[in-house]
Amino acid sequence: MITIALREFKKLFRSIRSIIIIFLIFLVTLETAKLINKFPLVLQVLNLGDHAYSVGLMVLIVLASPLFVSILSHNVINEELKSRTIRFIATKTSRDNIILGKFLGTLLFWGICVFVALILIIPFAKEFYFRLFLHSIIYISYFLGLTILLSTTIPNPMLTTFINLILSIVMPILGLWSMGSDNIFLKLYSYITPYFFYSQDKEPYYYFVLLFTIIFLGLSLTIMRKRDL
Amino acid sequence: MYVIETYNLTKKYGNKNVVNNVSLKVKKGIIFGFLGKNGAGKSTFINMITGLTIPSSGSFTLLSNKNIKEQRKRFGVMPDYSEFYGDMTAFDHLKFFSKLLGIKLTREDIIQILKRVGLEDAINLKTKKFSFGMKKKLGIAQAILNKPDLLFLDEPTSGVDANSILSIHSLIKDISKQGTTIFLTSHNLDEVEKLCDEIAIIDKGIIKLQGPIEKIKSDYRDNLTIIIKHGKIPENVFSELEYQLKMYSSNITWGMNHVHLMVKDEYTISEINRLFLKMNINVFRIEVEEPTLEEIFLGT
Repeated sequence: MITIALREFKKLFRSIRSIIIIFLIFLVTLETAKLINKFPLVLQVLNLGDHAYSVGLMVLIVLASPLFVSILSHNVINEELKSRTIRFIATKTSRDNIILGKFLGTLLFWGICVFVALILIIPFAKEFYFRLFLHSIIYISYFLGLTILLSTTIPNPMLTTFINLILSIVMPILGLWSMGSDNIFLKLYSYITPYFFYSQDKEPYYYFVLLFTIIFLGLSLTIMRKRDL
Repeated sequence: MYVIETYNLTKKYGNKNVVNNVSLKVKKGIIFGFLGKNGAGKSTFINMITGLTIPSSGSFTLLSNKNIKEQRKRFGVMPDYSEFYGDMTAFDHLKFFSKLLGIKLTREDIIQILKRVGLEDAINLKTKKFSFGMKKKLGIAQAILNKPDLLFLDEPTSGVDANSILSIHSLIKDISKQGTTIFLTSHNLDEVEKLCDEIAIIDKGIIKLQGPIEKIKSDYRDNLTIIIKHGKIPENVFSELEYQLKMYSSNITWGMNHVHLMVKDEYTISEINRLFLKMNINVFRIEVEEPTLEEIFLGT
């Protein structure tokens, strides 16, 4: 599992798409923090609280991380199935290890990206936003779990690219909309996505999202165990 | 002692049984050939026992062990229709696979394995630049990383040039000499005949024949081809001779002073010999052709 996680992690850092995304994350985070630092009054008016300097990173994660995850990982399993590279791995380690390794490697990649972005904010905020780091990772893990589930379920990488792209754009929009709406369908939608939980004041709600990640991974493992490679 | 035991192993795709109730036992230390035409069920069978395909029913044990985790450490697989990561070198692959298997190999160990399969010049070459033959060799290299007790080779030489075939054959023999049991699938009958001690022939998912090659051949001697080199046949007896011969063989080909006949058994040969003598035709020589594996294979 660790071997697969490390390979996935290294592979992500080598891809040009990841480098662009990392650059974008760092740029937005740093520039927003610089901007907010110049206008301390805006901080008070907007009442952004303790995490003011991380507002750029937060917006980027909530709105764009589903898209970023989708771009980088939409074919994390089905590409290996299609190219049949998985056949060499599957005779050497369990299918569970393959799925969990891919998940952990990708999550580690995002962990490092968010961690470094939060380090860039330290000169302005004078602190490391550990909780924000944790909440971001949980949020990303939801979409990563979903992406892995889709990639395990749907054998065609082109189809998962399309579905993931649609979902990664529609889901945050519906999610944010559901936070301020009384529509019953949107409310139901918010309960099965991170948006309801992330709109609550109490922190334990955030960790509830992990349950969905576990469900997505559990389903992926079950499907993978029954699949012919 | 058996290293592979399968019991009524079956794989269904829809209503079709691709592998149908296959019960097979493979002895330790031999090279076992699994023969069949394309689509006969060879690869599906090997995929099931190596964990790549989930059986529809039946069971199996490898190396007297049902625990797949334990088995993995002791067997090696070169699956057919597999691909390497194009962005990784031969060395990177073997390093990566050895870590997956949980075995510690030094750089020198990996280079030795690559040398053994004849890839010493391609250690640092990315596999996207590999020829088909080189990929087959790397496929064998990754399968012998853990010095397996049991090695599965699915079509190890298909699509490979003649030189590479020879070196792969020599490598297979070399691995076998070190005590590894080899389960080899192929549709190359010549290869199987050269390499294997025992074979099984599968057709439409069913095992048609199984056993040591020599025994299978001797069992098939009731379909012997004989060539009788004879003296001049008088014209007035030719049609009578032909009529009589047709009672022993439906497959007769006449040549210049010789005749090819397909007969059922060795007793028929002596009866035919008597027939020639009775008609005062000299018989100079009777050659008996052993059935080739190909004839047996095509006859199944």
